[in-house]
Amino acid sequence: MQWAVASAAFLASAVEFVEAFTIVLVVGVTINWRSSLVGAFAAAATLAVIVGTLGVAIVVYVPIGILRLVVGVILILFGLKWLKKAILRYSGLKAIHDEEAIFEETMAEVRARGGEVSQRLQPFGVALSYKAVLLEGLEVAFIVITFGTAPSTTACTTNCGIGGIASAAIGAAVAGILVILLGALVRAPLKQIPENTLKFIVGIMLTTFGTFWTGEGFGVSWPISDAFLLVLAAIYLASTFVLVMWLRQMKQRQLATAKANNASLPAQGQEVRP
Amino acid sequence: MKVIKAIYNFIVGDMIILVGVIIALIILALINTISALAPLRVATGWILVISVLVVLTATLYREARGNR
Repeated sequence: MQWAVASAAFLASAVEFVEAFTIVLVVGVTINWRSSLVGAFAAAATLAVIVGTLGVAIVVYVPIGILRLVVGVILILFGLKWLKKAILRYSGLKAIHDEEAIFEETMAEVRARGGEVSQRLQPFGVALSYKAVLLEGLEVAFIVITFGTAPSTTACTTNCGIGGIASAAIGAAVAGILVILLGALVRAPLKQIPENTLKFIVGIMLTTFGTFWTGEGFGVSWPISDAFLLVLAAIYLASTFVLVMWLRQMKQRQLATAKANNASLPAQGQEVRP
Repeated sequence: MKVIKAIYNFIVGDMIILVGVIIALIILALINTISALAPLRVATGWILVISVLVVLTATLYREARGNR
């Protein structure tokens, strides 16, 4: 066992697993667990096929930059769509409870028929979960292969028991198991958060991950590496608060104008009447 | 046509977001390919962040105006 390789692979993979698991978790909580897990398992199966077919050559054949760009752009589109709806609801420009009411009505109807609507597969949820797990899983595969086949580790294969790739794979596997266990622990508290707040958080996260991966696809090396995700999330969070305040002011102005117009209309009508 | 519309609605469903993101990507691609724009490459990440915020502001502004 090469502990240096295993530890490095553990730390690097943990970051990637957290990124993938975050999206699987929010899809599970906001859409449904069935869609989230189907997407995640489908991505894991795709990964197994890719890694099984290409093996170590995956580093040469899979264009990770292009993949990051495509997944990043799609996440930005999804994220902006969710953020827009959540911001409109917070600012009062869109009814905050309409979807919940419709959802409850549908649930009641379906329950009356003996079915369950919330467990239906949602293509949006499956796709989100699939893309995140596939991309991050590929990154983990890249980490395991690059760490495991680095010149400093290959020299050790004869003296150190198991080889570099096996050590890196063990490090990554332990990271994956730990992240999944931690995720299972935070699942229950997440259910207590109101629906619109969750959608807002998901919108922020999708836009953050999307921006990060799109940037990487364009060759951007973000300052402080993956920790820059937190900075991006903070930037988007602050900006959306400003946007909510701006839209609220705009709505108040519109209401004031409408009131003034309504007040002046009867007065004009009285003047015209004999 | 129905398939394209279904994909459009599934992925984004908002023309301002779609066009805005495409324009941002074209700008970033130009910055990364044209040598005359090479000095801007260091700011690619920030240009992307600002573009995303501009697109979000534009689509929200349209919604707010539509509510009048």
